[in-house]
Amino acid sequence: MDGRPLDSSYRDPSGFVFTRSGVLYRQINRVFADEFEAVTGSGLYDELARQGLLIPHRSVSLDHAATSQAAAVVQPDPIRFISYPYEWCFSQLRDGALLTLEVQERALVRGITLRDASAYNIQFQGGRPIFIDTLSFERRKEGAPWAAYRQFCEHFVVPLALMSRVDVQLGALLRTHLEGIPLELGARLLGRRSWGSLGLLFHVQLHAAAQRRYRDRPPSATTSRAVTAQTLIGLVRSLRGLIARLVWQPRGTVWAEYATDNTYTAQAAASKRDLVMAMLRGGAVREVWDLGANTGEYSRAARTTAEHVVAFDVDPAAVERNYLRVRAEAERGILPLLIDLANPSPALGWAHRERFSLEQRGPADALLALALVHHLAIGHNLPLERIAGYFARLGRRLVIEFVPKSDAQVQRMLRSRPDIFPGYTREGFEAAFRTCFRIDEVQPVLGSERLLYAMTAVDQTSPAAP
Amino acid sequence: MYIDPTSGSLVLQIVAAAALSAVAMMTRAREAAKSLGRSLVSRIRRWTGAR
Repeated sequence: MDGRPLDSSYRDPSGFVFTRSGVLYRQINRVFADEFEAVTGSGLYDELARQGLLIPHRSVSLDHAATSQAAAVVQPDPIRFISYPYEWCFSQLRDGALLTLEVQERALVRGITLRDASAYNIQFQGGRPIFIDTLSFERRKEGAPWAAYRQFCEHFVVPLALMSRVDVQLGALLRTHLEGIPLELGARLLGRRSWGSLGLLFHVQLHAAAQRRYRDRPPSATTSRAVTAQTLIGLVRSLRGLIARLVWQPRGTVWAEYATDNTYTAQAAASKRDLVMAMLRGGAVREVWDLGANTGEYSRAARTTAEHVVAFDVDPAAVERNYLRVRAEAERGILPLLIDLANPSPALGWAHRERFSLEQRGPADALLALALVHHLAIGHNLPLERIAGYFARLGRRLVIEFVPKSDAQVQRMLRSRPDIFPGYTREGFEAAFRTCFRIDEVQPVLGSERLLYAMTAVDQTSPAAP
Repeated sequence: MYIDPTSGSLVLQIVAAAALSAVAMMTRAREAAKSLGRSLVSRIRRWTGAR
C-alpha cells in the first residue's frame, strides 16, 4: 500500500522504509534528524557508498514523505532480489559479517557507531554483500560500549561458529531464530569445541556467562572512560580475526560432487546447455530462477540470455561452491541461495509479514527445473499436478527436464522402495503440467532418455496448487 | 539505542576495555622505567669516565 511502512520496517522509531508507486524510499523521522545530519556531514555515507559498501541513496523532497513526522526522505538504489540470512551459504554469511565489521571500523574512525548489527542490514547485489540500512548509524558517545555487540555475536559469530565447528546445517537455526541464535544456546551447542579458540571463549562463552550473571542484576554503570574508540576498534579487530579463522570446506554433502560426478557425457551436457539457452531466448526474460542449480553450470548458461539469475539449491556445499566462484570471478548477475524446494522459505516474522516467502518474491520471468522433477515427485512423493501448480506460481515460463523411470538416477531412487508412482510417465507428466502450462517445445537430451520441455504458464491461479 | 544491548554485553566490554587499558598502562610504565634506567647508566658511565 502506498506510503505505508513495509511490514519488516517497524522496530526503529528513527525512521522506516516504504514504497510509493512502486519506488522504495526511506523516511528519516524528526527524532533522528540531528543524528542523520551529523552522520551525513561526517562524510561516512559518501565514503561507504563510493567503496561499494553501502547502498547508494539520494535525497528527495519532503513531498515524498509518508507521514508528517518526516525530517528527510531518501531514495536508495533498489536491491535486485531480497534474500535472507537463513538462505545464505557459509561464505555469504561470513562475508556479511566481515562487511559489518568493516563498516563499524570506518564509522568509529569518524566518531560514529552502528546502532545495530543485524544480518538483515546486509543484502547481496552484483555478487557481493552490501550494507543497506542508512539509519543504522549514530554519533558515538564517549565511554559508551558498542550497543550492537551482542546482536553481532548472535547474528553472525554464533551461527558461523556452529556451521564451522559443529555442522553446516545448523545455519538453518537462523530461520527459527530471526533475532539471531541466542548466545547461551550457541555456547551450549559449541561446548568443548570453543576451547581451542580464545576468540570463541571470549565472544561466545564468556559473553554468554556475562549475560546470565547480569540478567537480573544490572550493573550500576554502563559507561566507562576505559571504553574509547581505540578499544572498540580493538574489539572489532578481535571479531574480524575470529570470523576470518572460522572456515568450512564445501565437501562431504550429498550433492557436493554432482557437477563432476553425474550420468552426462561432456557432449550430452554441452547439448543440454545449448538447448536450455535456445529455449530461454525468444521472450523478455530478465530474471531466471534456476531451481536445483547445484554449482550453477546452467545458471551461467541462462545468464548469457537473462540479466539476473537466482540459483537455488538444497545442498550447502553446492551453493557454497557456486558463491565462491561468483566471488572469485566477480560475476555480477548470479545470486546463489540455499533453499529446499520441498520446504521453501515461508513468510516469517510478526504476523507472517516481516520476511517474504519465496513465492512472494516472484514470479520470475522464467524457471529452470533441470534434473529436478524426479527428486520432488519420487524423492518427496509430490504429485506432479502439485509440482506444476507451484511452478506456475513461481515463474511465467518454464524450462523443465523430464527424467524417466528408466534413467539410472531414478532407478537408484527406486532401488530400496516399492514403485508407487504409476502416474510418473511421460504421458502423466505432460498431462499434469498441461493443467497449468502450455507446452511450447519438446527436445530429447542427447545421449539420454531425458526430455527437455519449454512451457508457458497459462493460469497463475491454478486450482492444482496446494 | 533501539535494540537491547543487554547488561552482560556492556559489562564484558567495559571489563575488557579496563583490562586492556591496564595492560597498556603497565607496558608504558615498563618502557618508561627501562628508558630511565638506560639514561642513568649512561650518565654514570660518562661521570666515571671523566674522572
